[in-house]
This record gives sequence, C-alpha cells and structure tokens, in this order.
Amino acid sequence: MERTQELFEKIEGYLANTLSKEEGIAFRKELAVNKELQVEVEKHRELHDALSDTDTLAFAEKIRKIRKEMIQEEADTTATSGFRFSSFLKIAASLVLIISLGTLLWQVSRHDSPQDLYTAYYVPYPVEDVTRGVDQKESDEFQKKYREKKYEEVSVVLEKISEDTMDERHRLYLGNSYLNIGREQDALLQFQQISDTSKYYEHASWFRALTYLKLEDTEASALILQKIITYNGIYAFNAKELLEKLEKK
Amino acid sequence: MSTTRERKIMEGIVTGDRQVIKEFYTNNYPYIRKYIIQNSGDETDAEDVFQDAIIMMYQKLKTGTLEVHSSLRTYFYAICKNIWRNRLRRNKKFVGSSDMVNAEEIDVSLLEEIEQKEREQLYQRYFLKLSHTCRELLTMVFEGKTMREISDMTEYSSGYARKKKFDCKKSLMDMIEKDSAYHELTMIKKDIF
Repeated sequence: MERTQELFEKIEGYLANTLSKEEGIAFRKELAVNKELQVEVEKHRELHDALSDTDTLAFAEKIRKIRKEMIQEEADTTATSGFRFSSFLKIAASLVLIISLGTLLWQVSRHDSPQDLYTAYYVPYPVEDVTRGVDQKESDEFQKKYREKKYEEVSVVLEKISEDTMDERHRLYLGNSYLNIGREQDALLQFQQISDTSKYYEHASWFRALTYLKLEDTEASALILQKIITYNGIYAFNAKELLEKLEKK
Repeated sequence: MSTTRERKIMEGIVTGDRQVIKEFYTNNYPYIRKYIIQNSGDETDAEDVFQDAIIMMYQKLKTGTLEVHSSLRTYFYAICKNIWRNRLRRNKKFVGSSDMVNAEEIDVSLLEEIEQKEREQLYQRYFLKLSHTCRELLTMVFEGKTMREISDMTEYSSGYARKKKFDCKKSLMDMIEKDSAYHELTMIKKDIF
C-alpha cells in the first residue's frame, strides 16, 4: 500500500476519532473490505501505543547517553598519549573536505537555483578506513569503488550489511552513494538514522541539508542549516554562506 | 525480600540516577557480555540485551509490578538471558543447550512479557534513531497535541508541520519494517493471536 500524507492523516483521524461523520463512515466501509488498509491501521495503532510512553522513551535515551559516556570514559582511560594515527586521518579527511568545498565555492555566486547550489556545495563524504560489519576484502572493495565514484556498486555492497552491524560511517557512505544515483529519499533515511549524540551527526546534518536542497525543499534545508550554524562546527561557515544564498532567493 | 542496597538500586533506576545506573552497568555488564558472547552473540548483542533488560526493569518499577523473589541481580540476569534466548530462537540459532538453561532462568510469565515488550522496544529503538526535529515533532503527535498546537509550538507553518510529520512517521515505519526482527515478531504475534 502506497504511503501518502492523505492516507496517514485519514488513519490518524480514524484512530483519534476526529474524522467528520461522513469521512468516518466512508473510512470504516473501506476498512471492512480492504485487508491492506487493516494492516496499515494496525501498524499506526501499535506505533502510537508504543511511543506514547514518553517516560520510558526518555529513560531509554538517558541509558543510551550514559552508556556512551561510560564507553568514552573507558576509551579515554586506555588511550595512549600522543597523536594517534586514526585522529590524524580524521583531521586530514576534514581538511580535504574544507579545501574541496572552498575550491568549488568561488565559482558559485551567479548560479543559485537549488540544483545549482547543490552541485556547487556537494562534495562526497571522504573515505576513511571502515572495517566494522564488513570483512577486510569487502571493506577494501567498497572503499575503492567509492573513490572511483562507482556509487551503484557501493550501495550494493553496503546494503548487504545487516542493520545490527551497520555503523554510522557506513550510513554516511551509503547515503552519499544514494545521493549520487538519484535515490534521495533513501539517502535521507540513512542520514536520519545517525543519532544527534553521534560524532558524525554534524556530517549527517550537512548531507541532509544538501539532500533537501537537491529535492528543492529549501525550507527544510534552511532549518537544518540554521542548526549547523548554531552548532558552530566544521560546516558552520559553508552552512552560513549557503543559507544566505537561499534566503536571497 | 530486597536488601537496603537493592532498594537503593531500584530507586536509582526509577529516578534515572546516573551514578546508580553507571554502577549497575559496571557491576553487571561483564557477566551478561560474557554469557552472550559464549552463546553465539557479539558485543552489540550484549549492549542491546542489557539496555532492553534495564528498560524493562524500569517499566516494571514505574508501574509497581516488579516482583523479585530472589535477589535483584538474579532477577535481572534472568531477564537478560530470556531476552537473548528468545532472539536466538527467532533467529533459529537456539539449540537448547543445557549450559544455557537452568531453573532460575525459566519463568513463563516473564517470557510472555518479553515477547510483548520486544515489539515496543523495537519501535522505541528506531524512534531514538530519528533526527532531533523528527523526535520532537512526533513526541508532540503521540502526546495527542493538535496540528494547530504543534504549529504554534514549533513555529512551522501548518502545511509544513503536517508534511514534516508525514515524512518523519513514514521514515520511522520504513526503518522498522526493514529490520528482520520486526517480521519475526509479527510472525510470533500472528501465531499467538
């Protein structure tokens, strides 16, 4: 059953008993004969039941944050002093990103349709070593294909990783690959799954903003850019510049 | 049955006391981790099971339905072990080894409750993976706020708030349905009802 805004609003209205008398009669009539609709209504009902317990949700989030803190504290205690190679790689990746963006941006000023802005500001997330959840051979393979911009093939490799072992960097690569093969909604889904407590959240937010830009939803893009500016991390400067261009339109 | 120390732990969990929760983790996680890794699981499985069990204990404490007949630790380990055995069974990896089963772990009513809570926790786990904006918006929806109230509180236009609500809810449902555990739990529910 295709999920549309209209369908969701009808189901929600039915469950909350806020449909008009006529709408209610028509909906119940359809529900009585349409098995797919029955299943969909049940899914909405279960979702509402499970997520209306806001105390438990808040507790679950608290537990997740506490555990993250504990793992970080353990890592800090065991980390050796000095400059670690992995940190060096991450800084290098960030520098590559900043330089690449800077090189492209000076060309942009006169081309400011959402698509043009997207093309000007979009630089794929740079490759770091990623091995968790994939074996070394597969990891080498997808990184090589990603560097060669064979995004269709990258997505095939990464889609094989199970949800349990998929980590946040995989999601960034998969989201970027989807973006490059015209699967913007799938890209959004990957970026949205990166938690706001993650160190990759700023990257994910930047790519979400660009995905909305590509979809020409400038309002959604602007809202995310505003948050990136407030966060004041490595994307703040570009986010500010892009937001100014969007606001001039 | 509970000792003063256990009562303090239970109180700390239900009030969300960070120090108590951290100590509870430090004292109990290594045992659960070892158990799960020895029984076909990995580190991520151990983290998930431990978190789901502590959430289940929180819900029971909050509703006053926690009945501990032995020690709190034994009860908590029983929840963890039963959650893990259920997951292995769903994944067809459970072979019923005698090492895994002993009298203290078997509690039929607890098993039934675990099945029910597993679905809720699956929804909650994916909800927490949504962006902050989506979580905020859907929380207001699930709290029963009208779109007009949501629009006033978020300063989104009414049309944008409705569209955003749809996008967020659809993303959430898509994510949940992509998880194989969702389909396994759906099959179990069909078998039960």
